[in-house]
Amino acid sequence: MLNNLIGLTVNGLAMGVVYALIAMGLILLVRAVGVMNFAQGDLFMLGAYLSFTFIVNIKLPYWLFVPASLISFAIVGLIFMAVTYWPLREASYPQAVIIATMGAGYVIKELAYKIWGPVALSMPALVINPETGTTKVLEIFGIKLQWQYVMIIAVCAVLIVLVFMLFEKLYAGRMMQATAQDKYAAELIGIPSVVTIAATYMLVTMVVSIGGYMVAPVFFISATLSSLQLRAFAGVVIGGFGNLKGAIIGSLIVGLIEAYATLQWSSYKDAVVFIVLIIVLIFRPQGLFGEKIADKA
Amino acid sequence: MLKIKNLHAYYGAIEGLKGVDIDVEDGKITCIIGSNGAGKTTLLKAISGVVKRFGSMLLDDMEIGSFTPRQVARAGITHVPESRHIFPGLTVEKNLETGTFPWHGFFSNASFTKELDEVYELFPRLKERRNQLGWSLSGGEQQMLAIGRGIMARPKILMLDEPSMGLAPMLIDELFEKIVEINARGISILLVEQNAHIALEVSHNAYVMESGKIALQGPSISLQHDDRVTKAYFGSLYKKK
Repeated sequence: MLNNLIGLTVNGLAMGVVYALIAMGLILLVRAVGVMNFAQGDLFMLGAYLSFTFIVNIKLPYWLFVPASLISFAIVGLIFMAVTYWPLREASYPQAVIIATMGAGYVIKELAYKIWGPVALSMPALVINPETGTTKVLEIFGIKLQWQYVMIIAVCAVLIVLVFMLFEKLYAGRMMQATAQDKYAAELIGIPSVVTIAATYMLVTMVVSIGGYMVAPVFFISATLSSLQLRAFAGVVIGGFGNLKGAIIGSLIVGLIEAYATLQWSSYKDAVVFIVLIIVLIFRPQGLFGEKIADKA
Repeated sequence: MLKIKNLHAYYGAIEGLKGVDIDVEDGKITCIIGSNGAGKTTLLKAISGVVKRFGSMLLDDMEIGSFTPRQVARAGITHVPESRHIFPGLTVEKNLETGTFPWHGFFSNASFTKELDEVYELFPRLKERRNQLGWSLSGGEQQMLAIGRGIMARPKILMLDEPSMGLAPMLIDELFEKIVEINARGISILLVEQNAHIALEVSHNAYVMESGKIALQGPSISLQHDDRVTKAYFGSLYKKK
């Protein structure tokens, strides 16, 4: 029982950090550009597909795969920005950009369908058992864990810390934050908002795509991958909207709830997640870590 | 130091400035007064380039009339906007840090502790609150922060837009003492104020604006008791009792 529980906790945390990556990207875009990105899950899926192409179709060695994939993710982010944000940045309704992201989501899905076909693809795991060809199992104190889940937690945790450091500790990150909070003041100071916004889009797409690459071996790669975005949304709301730390913790909670729910109600795990979401909304509408939103005094 | 000739500014098809000539002298406080909607704020926005403008602006010997806001900030003109526009979610110290951007840029490692000390010396209150988030400050403190952020840019000219807005009278006096002190440290100041009384008191030169034009100009002392200033505020029908 205990072993089982620990196994579930690891799985839950692994999915949780992936949701956290998606959620973090959502919050960064909301803060940097004021846009709720409904294509986040589709970018996530595209990341998985692109990695598949690099690894399985082109068979790039790892030392080439890492830079090639990162660059391509960044380019996807730039294109995404050029298409959904740039033409609409001066629109009289800021919602226009949000609607555009929804449309872009469909386009990305259809594009993936056209390029990679309707059949779900299977991605080889990062750490493979040479005999069976499937993901290797890690055994600690008699507890069996899949290596892929351990890798997901490690890679995503590092990414989360890096992004956090970039925004909180680096001068450039602070300028990005400043632009996000008050574009007019940032313009007067001379911070080029185009640069910080483009950087945010690239960063978000890279982070999310890496998340897609990491979970690809756990699931099959197909258009349904994009639905993981919904759970990231749930995490954002549970944690408290607009708050990076809250979004990360909320997403981890979602991952864990989902994992524990499989113990009893395996086929209702989504329902359990959203029931918890509703309960949180009833008793703590600002989210668990929701702070008073900064406003003009 | 800054010579502006025949400056026009537009909001779409609406002309906000109709040919303004202004001289900001080196080391002096120049103030622009006038009633609501006279175009004072538009003038500052035109100088920093955030509204569409045409005309000549000579900073020392450099023509900056076509500069983007970024280039203007780099050239040494810092705009402290109306209603402060501090960054609500950054701490006081990080807010000040953002002010260094014009000379610092994204990636240099240049230190700004000297500027920071200078601002803290000028506004000890900001030092006490250095780790508080911007939004939690009082109105007066936010104004200090906005001005402090401006000083961090090492400006030649500091443009202040309505620093007295929304402040208690006692705070206004205190703030204007600081503005004089900043000027004494060698920063020229272009001050836009609705509160003509205090603006004329602290400044050396003054311009009175009326519907997008300069209606009156001269040394501040001579304008302090000039009836035409009152007229510019209340219209020509106003008669002094």
